[in-house]
Amino acid sequence: MIEKIPENSGSARAARPRAPQSVIRASILAIACWVLSTPLTTVAGSAAALSGCLMACLWLDRLHAQARLFRLRTPLIVLSLVIVLALGAAVANWLTSSSAFAQTLGAMVSYQLGQMLFWLLLAAGIGLTLRLLARRHSWGSIPELLFVASAFVITLAAHQRGMIDRPYFIGDFALIRGIDPSSILMAIGVIAVLALAVLLMMENNHKRLPYHFSVLAVLCFSLLAYVQFFGMPTPSLTDDLGLTGQAAAGGGSQSDNPFRDGENDASDREAPVAIVLFRDDYEPDSGAYYFRESAYSQFNGTLLWTAEDDSLDQDLVSEFPSSPIEVTEQIPARDQRRSVTTTIGLLTPHRSPFGLDAPVRFERAPNPNSLRFRQTYTVESLVPEFEFPDLIGRQAGSPDWTVAQWTEYLEMPDDPRYGEFGRELIANLRPEFADDPYAKALAVKDWLDTNGIYSLANEHAYATDPAASFLFGDMTGYCIHFAYAATYLYRSLGIPARVGVGYSVPSANRAGGSALLIQAVHGHAWPEIYLQDLGWVIVDPTPSQTLVDMSTDPQDSLQQMLADMLRDDAAFEAFLQDQAGDSRWSLENLIRAIVTLAIALLIAAFLIRVYRAQIPTLGSAQQQYRLQYRAALDTLAAFGIVRRHGESREAFARRLTALPAFTELTGQHLRGAPGYGLAPAGAWQATGSGADEKQVWQQLRTELQRELATSQPPWRRALAMVHPAPWLASR
Amino acid sequence: MQVMEAEATTVPALNAASRVLQRLTQAVRAQVIGRDDVIDLTVIALMADGHVLLEDFPGSGKTTLAKALGEAIVDDQAPDSSEHTVPIAAFRRIQFTPDLLPSDVTGSPVFDTNSNSFHFRHGPIFAHVVLADEINRTSPKVQSAMLEAMGEKQVTVDNITYPLDPLFFVIATQNPLDLVGTYPLPTPQLDRFLFKITMSHIDRDAELAVLDTWQQRREPGADRIRVGRNEIINARRDIDQHVYIADAIKSTLVDISRALRADERVLQGNSTRSLVLILPALQVLAALRGRNYVNADDLEMLLPHVLAHRVELAPGVADFNRVLRDCMREPLEQLARSTLKAHYPSAG
Repeated sequence: MIEKIPENSGSARAARPRAPQSVIRASILAIACWVLSTPLTTVAGSAAALSGCLMACLWLDRLHAQARLFRLRTPLIVLSLVIVLALGAAVANWLTSSSAFAQTLGAMVSYQLGQMLFWLLLAAGIGLTLRLLARRHSWGSIPELLFVASAFVITLAAHQRGMIDRPYFIGDFALIRGIDPSSILMAIGVIAVLALAVLLMMENNHKRLPYHFSVLAVLCFSLLAYVQFFGMPTPSLTDDLGLTGQAAAGGGSQSDNPFRDGENDASDREAPVAIVLFRDDYEPDSGAYYFRESAYSQFNGTLLWTAEDDSLDQDLVSEFPSSPIEVTEQIPARDQRRSVTTTIGLLTPHRSPFGLDAPVRFERAPNPNSLRFRQTYTVESLVPEFEFPDLIGRQAGSPDWTVAQWTEYLEMPDDPRYGEFGRELIANLRPEFADDPYAKALAVKDWLDTNGIYSLANEHAYATDPAASFLFGDMTGYCIHFAYAATYLYRSLGIPARVGVGYSVPSANRAGGSALLIQAVHGHAWPEIYLQDLGWVIVDPTPSQTLVDMSTDPQDSLQQMLADMLRDDAAFEAFLQDQAGDSRWSLENLIRAIVTLAIALLIAAFLIRVYRAQIPTLGSAQQQYRLQYRAALDTLAAFGIVRRHGESREAFARRLTALPAFTELTGQHLRGAPGYGLAPAGAWQATGSGADEKQVWQQLRTELQRELATSQPPWRRALAMVHPAPWLASR
Repeated sequence: MQVMEAEATTVPALNAASRVLQRLTQAVRAQVIGRDDVIDLTVIALMADGHVLLEDFPGSGKTTLAKALGEAIVDDQAPDSSEHTVPIAAFRRIQFTPDLLPSDVTGSPVFDTNSNSFHFRHGPIFAHVVLADEINRTSPKVQSAMLEAMGEKQVTVDNITYPLDPLFFVIATQNPLDLVGTYPLPTPQLDRFLFKITMSHIDRDAELAVLDTWQQRREPGADRIRVGRNEIINARRDIDQHVYIADAIKSTLVDISRALRADERVLQGNSTRSLVLILPALQVLAALRGRNYVNADDLEMLLPHVLAHRVELAPGVADFNRVLRDCMREPLEQLARSTLKAHYPSAG
């Protein structure tokens, strides 16, 4: 199987490329791998991709000439790489899914390991294959070019589809300054392509060089044309945002178990999800804004799930409003609520609209930037203003409920431990509050606050009842565990409860402005209870012990920017105008000016052409030798026949064997030229009168025209007719 | 009006000169086959009063060439001319060897017992055409005697100067490869040769023709074309007088040699003497081509042959023609554009 590399691979390619060249090339490919992997894997995975590709490229460049391995045929090497990659993928998959590993190393570690292994192998395989092709085949650099370009294009396109600020460091930087981050990414892509072009220039093979450059140029221009005419491609990469404990609300295609929402990936937690504009001022007492998207209220035999019974949860809206939607359920205690209107712009896809606390009316809002916002709508909410005394002494549930509704809101797993534990928790309540639903709920919340441990690890996902596994187990979990456990405990104590799902944003994030940025990290689930005459009241356990740092930096400037974008007000327009600079220098004006200038130049060029062709007939006899010869040179130049630099007139005439008239014409010119052909000035008189001279010249030029007509193809003649400035080329 | 008169006399005079050139060329071509370019250059050198250095291999026809040229020239002087006491031979060949002495070339005084006095015996150098074979094999002493004769057209022996014939023409040869035991000619001595012509082997057809016709060419035919010595001298004069060298051509020449001297690939540029020497050669070439003025073609044709042995290249640079081509480009471009500029004759 060992075979020599074909001879035609050439000494230039067999030779080891110089070190800086090799490093630059490897870095460009590695960065492309990294860019490609960032949206698809974790930070560790993309770092592995970067290093894998880098190492593979450097290793190949260093060893290709020596290692016996590389004497194999290209298809064989590529095939074995594919096999290794498949094996690697299998191992990575096993690492991720194997319970043994997850138990010894922890779920996150084994998942990260699997990702790293897979991406390391994938990137190394890509790097090896591309470099191998480039070294062995003349067309080999083209796949390299295509790979680098497409890596950036895909990222760019993904970005266009709602991934507003990732990579964050680029996106934030750009957005704050009013630049669309896509142009930054485009610029990075252009820089990468230019870097590749530099590499091509460093290449010594001049036969391949023009070929590669033309491919590069075609690639760039077709990309530009594509974006210009069809807009950005829209891949479907962004539905899975990995919202913390909240994925079921975001994507419609999740499994019907909210605990099995995949791994909680902390890397995406800063991704912006929505921007909320407050039309009325409102500061919640609880210290957080709750936006409810849906609720789990109906027990389906194993756990609580979205109600299928229409009579339940009538305060929720499941579709985005095309026409104004009024919430069917009457919100109680209107006198103790205040109307707050908010406008919400969604940056990522959502199944249903959400609103602050108790929404009563949804209405579509104009979308100022459809590339940026998936949905925009206005919600009118009735936010509660009740105080603690209002909550105490209320009855649970609503007297208007039917028996079926009551049953549904109290249904729970058939597990006696909930009831026993719940009664244990309220046992210490003072006698006057012993029957008070809100006091009972507070007792449960208080116990969970004290004893629960917040963690992103999802160890209970596959238990039959994850909430029980959490509550009667290690007490370690995240919001969905706390919400379910609390809801079951409330229900076991006879309080109608459900799990609310949506976003909870600390009110400090508003930073005094009228806008609020919802990020992925704010995805949340919480328990809420129904109190008579008040409606759903959120009683949200907040564990005091936590294993992860869920705090994020407030992104005030991004928040401000997105809010301005959603407001679409004059200030933002003015800001953009300001950024765009003086309107007189707009693109249209520039193009118009260029076109006008070009037309003017064309006309001037044609006028000069006509002048130089006609002037000999008007010129004096002394100047015939010069003007006529110049006119003949122009005629030839229109056909692309030009004297080369440093070529003598005699040699030029000799070169044009098909045009004997020109040889004669040149002779006539040289003989007549004073100070060249004949002794001092005035020699023109020798050949006779001026009129005869002119006639001879005219005849020669007519003859030249005739010879050109017979020797040149028709298309060439047509081109020569319309050539505006042959005089620029003639000499 | 002076121009018109000049024109009127120019044409017949040049016609005669051009005919002489044609006949000379034909005479040599009849004997030497496949070397038309070398023959042209040799005839040009002869007419331009220069000498030629041929670089080629043994048996490549250089003796035949020199002999044919020498035999084509007949001495048509009046027999009573007092200019020469001894008739000048048409052709002499000197084989240069390490033990050759200057007197073997120039001739030496011989004691005549009859008159009891020394009396100069002319050496082989007293001929119209002298073939100096393998000139680099002899000692510098002989070389310099030879070169003095070439430069001054005279021989000095024992303080007495003997003039050579005005037609005196040397074809020197050297073998470019076999350099063991040679005394290579230094650049200043090479400067005395107008052309250094490097010959390559002739092509297949020409070689076949040589084999086919060698017997006929061996016999001296009565129909041989011959050219009189005086005809050549007159033609020289006519060409010199009537072939016009424009100022533009002269400035181009100077520009080219300045560019050569400035080029970093050149250690030592060509001498001013080389520019002086090339002028008559340019005139002859123009006349040979039936023109009464020198043009750029003539320059391009002669410059490589005139300058190749006068320019010393920097170490590592081998291709003189390439250097020359680069240096010629800009001056030639200027020359080509010169006639397109408006040039108004002065009034009157």
